[in-house]
Amino acid sequence: MPWWGRRKKDAEIDRELRAHLDLEAEDQRKSGLSEDNARYAAQRALGNATLIQEDTRAVWRWTWLEQLGQDLRYAIRGIWKNPGFSVTATVSLALGIGAATAVFSVLNAVALRPLPVAEPDRLVVLRPELRGKRFVLFNPLFEELRDSQQSLSGMFAVSDEPYLKAAFNSASPSFVRGSLVSGNYFQVLGLSPAFGRLFTAEDDEPSVESCAAVVSHSFWQRTLKGDSAILGQPVVVREKHCTIVGVAPAGYRSHEAGYAPDLWVPLRPLTDPNLLASRGMAFYSGVIGRLRPEVTIAQAETELNEIYQRLQPAAQPSPHPGETPITRGDFRMRVLPGEQGLDQVRVRLGQPLVLAFAVVGVVLLIAAVNVANLLLARGAARHTELATRAALGAGRARLMRLLAFEGAALSVGGGLLGVGLAFLAAPALPGVLPLPATVSLDAAPDIRVAAIAVAATLFASLLTGLLPAWRLSRQDLHSAVAGGERATAARSRQRLTRTLVAAQLALSLLLVTTAGLLLRTMVRVMAVDPGFGTSHVLLMDIKDTEPAAKFGEVDTSEAKERRAVRYRTLDERMNAIPGVQAASLSWLGLFSSSYVGLNVYDADQPASGRFTLVDYTSPRYFEAVGMRLLRGRGFTADDREGSLRVAVVNEAYVRERLPAGLEAIGRRLVMTYADDRRPWSIVGIVRDSKYNDLRKSASEPMIWVPLSQAPFKFTSVSLRVHPGAEAAVTREARIALAATSPHLMVRKTTTLRDQVDQTTARERLSLSLSSSFGGIALLLAAVGLYGTLAYAVARRTREIGVRLALGARPGSVLRLVVGESFKLLLAGMLSGVPLALAAGYVMRGFLFGVTPYDLSTLIGAGVLLSVVALLAALAPARRAARVDPIVALRYE
Amino acid sequence: MPSRIELLQGTLDMLILRTLLFGPAHGHEIAKHIQRTSEDVLQVEHGSLYPALHRLEKKGWVASKWEMAKDRNREFKYYRLTPAGKKQLTVEDSKWKQMAQAIAQVMGPAEQS
Repeated sequence: MPWWGRRKKDAEIDRELRAHLDLEAEDQRKSGLSEDNARYAAQRALGNATLIQEDTRAVWRWTWLEQLGQDLRYAIRGIWKNPGFSVTATVSLALGIGAATAVFSVLNAVALRPLPVAEPDRLVVLRPELRGKRFVLFNPLFEELRDSQQSLSGMFAVSDEPYLKAAFNSASPSFVRGSLVSGNYFQVLGLSPAFGRLFTAEDDEPSVESCAAVVSHSFWQRTLKGDSAILGQPVVVREKHCTIVGVAPAGYRSHEAGYAPDLWVPLRPLTDPNLLASRGMAFYSGVIGRLRPEVTIAQAETELNEIYQRLQPAAQPSPHPGETPITRGDFRMRVLPGEQGLDQVRVRLGQPLVLAFAVVGVVLLIAAVNVANLLLARGAARHTELATRAALGAGRARLMRLLAFEGAALSVGGGLLGVGLAFLAAPALPGVLPLPATVSLDAAPDIRVAAIAVAATLFASLLTGLLPAWRLSRQDLHSAVAGGERATAARSRQRLTRTLVAAQLALSLLLVTTAGLLLRTMVRVMAVDPGFGTSHVLLMDIKDTEPAAKFGEVDTSEAKERRAVRYRTLDERMNAIPGVQAASLSWLGLFSSSYVGLNVYDADQPASGRFTLVDYTSPRYFEAVGMRLLRGRGFTADDREGSLRVAVVNEAYVRERLPAGLEAIGRRLVMTYADDRRPWSIVGIVRDSKYNDLRKSASEPMIWVPLSQAPFKFTSVSLRVHPGAEAAVTREARIALAATSPHLMVRKTTTLRDQVDQTTARERLSLSLSSSFGGIALLLAAVGLYGTLAYAVARRTREIGVRLALGARPGSVLRLVVGESFKLLLAGMLSGVPLALAAGYVMRGFLFGVTPYDLSTLIGAGVLLSVVALLAALAPARRAARVDPIVALRYE
Repeated sequence: MPSRIELLQGTLDMLILRTLLFGPAHGHEIAKHIQRTSEDVLQVEHGSLYPALHRLEKKGWVASKWEMAKDRNREFKYYRLTPAGKKQLTVEDSKWKQMAQAIAQVMGPAEQS
């Protein structure tokens, strides 16, 4: 019944009852009572008029719902009346729920959200393995596999090219994020164009005259303002003339989380035919297929694995020293669920995000427990109020509901605030995470994020609402009216709040220890000596896009000679830039995230061939990156084509590849590249250094040779600069590059330090998330402890007053309260240590240089927790010590 | 004054319907009528009378209207029996008779002994 109807009904019942009273009084008067007595008798005969009115009205309405609304109003009024408490509670819940939602939205974007394609659950990822480790798939094998299998209705290969050279509409070339894909890519995914057309199998023929290109919807909107004239526009991709034929559907980013190409081009027309035909060089990012109806993943794997093994040669030598030859049975084709597409970013960030989500879950737990605890403490202060309500006829269930609603209302408020913040922040979140520049995440919230937000809020509501209500259900309300609660009830409630505080402290210990372990890991990783100098070294990531004379052909000697001359000029220009101490070009450079080597053997021991890391550099390389030359010499401008072929090796090479006790300098080695077996003479030895992973302890044997004697296309310029000269040098270096050749394009400019840091992104992400959330947890636990102690002191004011009146010193009262806090702390620590140890064990894979059960980390966390607990206890303790016995005893 | 008997649960509704069979009446009249016809044995609890009246009204067995009383210058809320109420009364009446008979059978032999 609407409220206006309710008012009318009330008035009517009231009028009816009044008429009854009048008539009854009249009757009583007739029987001889005085006017006043008659009225009184009538009222007595009727009984409690208000109650009758309520009962009568109750006939007409949906009481349950109305009481619910009433309780909600009470709850909100209660919250409104205590702004300090309410703000604290709401903010801490908002923090917990918001953090959970935000972290989940990133986790969702990285690892959970299915591709926005038709029936994503029917997609599978094909992943070859060699002896249980990820392996690559060579193009010829892919094609044979594709043509002979029956389980999939289609399968395609992808080669992601984050720096794809493209010149739109005869503008000068630039890098776009690109994907080279098989012709049936869009068809297998089940996508339709937003505009124009998508690829067909014919587009992927290597012989096509003009290749087709598809742009992403966002690229179309961004650069061409959604102009329909985009169709038919020319774009030169890697020297190949292409035409834009269509726009990919809006909302489709790519075949994997974290990558959003602007341009799709067919794979085969744009790939070197040698590469396409190679059974030793792979260039795929991954292969995805779609299961035929009625075919299961297991069936598909059985079939594809069988074909894949059959395609392998019977036996081949292992590329790794000391391993048995590889047989067909060592190969295996895994067919994995492909709902989320390829998993490069997922593999890299999934684990730290799961860890972070677990941490955030614990923070939420602490926050909810905290608020429940504060509500409990407040509930105690409101004991008399609740008892009065009970005396006035509120049922126990009704009171429980009232308390539950207060907790729930706070949680919902916190949830709304937190989720609001998280939804605002989520799209910006990937920007603050240490992600590589080519990774772009769409962390926009979706239905899953909303579900988690609702679940987190519900969880908090249950905890904050039910706990105090449950507490109430077990206590005697009626004794409270008479005068103060009974000691037993007080003690048992104290027990609950104290248990909760101890639980918070235990969980905090868990989080602080986790953060501590990660911090120590990070410190250890940072303390690793990389073997080179990371400060003040600029790195330019270069792509020499000069086309080969004939597409797909190996460089001619004239081309090599020209290139050697050009590189020498560039090297001189770079070294001449003011502010540059030393500059060098190199084929790969340090921490380039590649792992490239050749089979290398000592010229006197042809049978000793092993896989060895190789790089090609210009003369001042070791100086530029700060690698120390231990003996012999580095390269000079005189090392050039035609002169003695020279090489520098590292200590590990001397140690592992040369017979002990022999002089290394002057020995000759052979690198088996193509048909070239001419030896290189070792002229210098450099100190061991890390190659592309700081966490790898052992240095691998490595060789450097002059770029001028083997002019492969370089990809990296290292510039050691004077502090402060970075910006000017970068500018000048770009000019030098452009002046040397228009084909030298800069992919990105960074520093050696950033390049190295990039490889510890996982550690840094884990650390930054866990330490900030650990801090929040600590703060919440401190608030919880403070609240509990402050409440206990308030409750015991009288007792403390008596103690003081009987001669206790303020100091002993202080100790009483602080001792109380230490009891809680001890309980929290005792239960927290096993938790922390378990957490350390779970996250052992994240640790480096520190064991999961590191005692000093645990002690450090304990000390930190104790200090925080002491600080939280100090204010209530001092308040207790300052109690004035006279005031305390008069009170109550 | 004879000792008063509390009304059996559920019988108040039947008595109200039965009272209204004689014509429309307001709450006070109904209470007095029940009291009078039972020779003051049945005491209607005024507190339960009005909720009962409204319950019957909600069920559609009685209808109400504010009307001027014939003997005084004041409006009262008069309840009258609806056709559905009349039907309900026959149902309750036969149920009651069955029950009274059953109770009499159970109680009878004890009196004889």
